[in-house]
Amino acid sequence: MAEQVRQQIKSGIQGNGSIVMTNSEMNDGTAMDNGTTRADLMQRVALMEEMIAEGRRSTAQYGWLFLLWGLVYFAAVGWGLFLPFAYLAWPICVTVGFVLSIGFGVRQKRTGGSGDLRAHTLRSVWTMMGIVLTLFLVTANVSHHFDGPGCFAAILFFIGLAHATSAMILRWGMQGLVAVIWCAGGVASFFFIRPSEWVVIFLVATFFGQILFGLYAMMLDRQRVAASVQRHA
Amino acid sequence: MPELPELDPIVHGKLRLAVLSLLTSVEEADFIWLRQKTGATDGNLGGQMLKLEEAGYVAMEKRFAGRKPQTVYRMTSAGREALAGYVAALKVLLGAAL
Repeated sequence: MAEQVRQQIKSGIQGNGSIVMTNSEMNDGTAMDNGTTRADLMQRVALMEEMIAEGRRSTAQYGWLFLLWGLVYFAAVGWGLFLPFAYLAWPICVTVGFVLSIGFGVRQKRTGGSGDLRAHTLRSVWTMMGIVLTLFLVTANVSHHFDGPGCFAAILFFIGLAHATSAMILRWGMQGLVAVIWCAGGVASFFFIRPSEWVVIFLVATFFGQILFGLYAMMLDRQRVAASVQRHA
Repeated sequence: MPELPELDPIVHGKLRLAVLSLLTSVEEADFIWLRQKTGATDGNLGGQMLKLEEAGYVAMEKRFAGRKPQTVYRMTSAGREALAGYVAALKVLLGAAL
């Protein structure tokens, strides 16, 4: 369909770009004042629909960001459990995650072409989630009130909320499922209240909701890019 | 029989209509992205963008992305109005088909 429309665009360009108007009649038998046929107009409608959809198609590829943050979570939990200076695990891992994410964003801005509104919306959702979650964690730690399942559940619900919002914006069922996984983890945190159980819940949610989902999204990104290259070849 | 609305000839051009439709869903778009999406040649796209600019439907800005020069377009409010008017005229012309 997209290729057909591109061909239509090419065929419609006559030197200075004006459209050659025909004097034929509309399909239903009525002629328009300016000679444009009904088929011409229907073609314009199809063209607009296709181009608006093309514009909305995100130019960005975010799959590996999910994978990255899944690995950051795993690294932080692993360091916190098995390595010295455990109190540094989360601040350092999260900082590394932020630096890599920002680097990725700058690189993508240079290589990308458009300020896709939907991509901007998604970036805003995830950036604000990151800021609010960081504020929550820092405040809870500094005040020594990071205790009880409520605090732990809040983290999972924060992440679930961001996934759910993204899923609604993208109308993407798979990400909706990921949101359910994170929120289910949040709910489970109230019933499995030992810290060792929270770790298991968090790692399971991270594995399915970040790492596997990230790999899946990367695979889709690659397929989309390959299809785009084929289309423009 | 009621008078049929006129279609804005600037918007009606296929490539110009494609560009305006693309620009409705993005904040801004650079020339290369528009060229990729429409499949137009540099010369044609450049010419059509100039016409849209002259009509006041798009605004152009030249800047650098790193070391690379970039020509970025965004739709103006006049462009949005023109496209909305064009869609309204199409609705009248095509009636129930839309």
